[in-house]
Amino acid sequence: MDWQALALTLKLASVTTAILLAIAVPLAALLVLGRSRWLAALEALAALPLVLPPTVLGFFLLVLLGPRTSVGRGITALLGHPLAFSFDGLVVGSVIYSLPFAVQPLVAGFAAVQPNLVDAARLLGAGSVRIVVSLLVPLARRSLVAAAVLSFLHTVGEFGVVLMLGGDIPGATRTLSIVLYNQVENFDYAAANHTAAILLGLSAAALAILYSKGLRRGSAYRA
Amino acid sequence: MQAQTPLRVAAAADLEPILPPILEQFHQATGIRAEATFQASAMLTAQIMNGAPFDVFLSADLGYPKKLIDAGLADAAGTADSSTPITYAKGTLVLWTRKDSPLPPPSLDLLRNPALKRLAIANPDRAPYGRAAVAALTSLKLYDALKPRLATAENIAQAAQFVDSGNADAGLISLTSAMTPHMASSGTWFVIPRDLYPPLEQGAVIVSNTTQRAAVHKLLDYLLSPPIQAQLAKSGLTPVH
Repeated sequence: MDWQALALTLKLASVTTAILLAIAVPLAALLVLGRSRWLAALEALAALPLVLPPTVLGFFLLVLLGPRTSVGRGITALLGHPLAFSFDGLVVGSVIYSLPFAVQPLVAGFAAVQPNLVDAARLLGAGSVRIVVSLLVPLARRSLVAAAVLSFLHTVGEFGVVLMLGGDIPGATRTLSIVLYNQVENFDYAAANHTAAILLGLSAAALAILYSKGLRRGSAYRA
Repeated sequence: MQAQTPLRVAAAADLEPILPPILEQFHQATGIRAEATFQASAMLTAQIMNGAPFDVFLSADLGYPKKLIDAGLADAAGTADSSTPITYAKGTLVLWTRKDSPLPPPSLDLLRNPALKRLAIANPDRAPYGRAAVAALTSLKLYDALKPRLATAENIAQAAQFVDSGNADAGLISLTSAMTPHMASSGTWFVIPRDLYPPLEQGAVIVSNTTQRAAVHKLLDYLLSPPIQAQLAKSGLTPVH
């Protein structure tokens, strides 16, 4: 078992999930509360990472973040190192790749909050930030948990983007899914079974604990 | 002839730019249709082990087809030695850089240059060219020094993308990749001396379950015929005869 790869995978998934929630909560609130007709285009854009094969998405990111584009050169100058083949690069790739998995549940959850509650809050003088923080997020907390869980798990299982953008560097970009794939491809099925069993066991246990905490009883009303 | 089921050819990914026109010429010459599926040799081996309906397997090395022979799933019946894969070509390893790279042109000295920050190779555990790259670096006593600077790609085509996109400074890739029109126009290469790595022999085997053994033999004979061997040479493979 490659514990370094497991630790790296958990770190990548945690950082990605934190960044995704910070982006997806305001974005989903904007999509639900906003009035502009451009929002439909924005919502479509936020769902697009689902369409491309992950290795192709990884390839586009490799080119975009590389030294042959001004974007890539700008980022390299800003950070002092190129993003490809680094942990930071994987975070960027993962955030883009898992964005729909954070945005979709939140949009559904926020949209399910009764509009008259939002109207009442507005009449009582609440601003948009207050409406999101004090009304939408608490009422849609199951969606928030769903968004976090999906983002985290999707990043743990992420393969194609990591494969293209990572370069399989131990301790920096060699995640557990890469290790597992390498074991399968090298016909080392015993090791692959072992790795997969640990990954599935840990994930099942973590999810069961999460789902047993307050998501079943009482608070299940709406959202 | 028209009712013939096409031959299903499992072919190593490095043959992707080369094989389709050859199969088309084979069809013209013999009336036998053949369709190729391109994958990493390791993946194709796993698929054949699990019953994939291929008739013939053109690997990028000798190890994978040998593995299938040992498992009793493939053979080289009808040739001099039915338990040895049929070598149909040899591969060549090159050091490739972009023409607009700030580094000096590719040579063995470039591998010793500290300005070389990222060197792309294919996965040495399974990609034959990755294995050859590590062998060459080891022969040059550079492997330990370069190890932290390697970016490892899943296969040789991806290693080429790492360096063609500018994210790696140089790459140890196949001559077949370097000679594709895109890579030939964007970069230059240096042929790694052949005494630095074991020969990259590419082997073919007949999948034992095939129902079209006679047609498979025609295809293998065709691949080994002088005109087709000469055609392989123009695409970056070394003929075996």
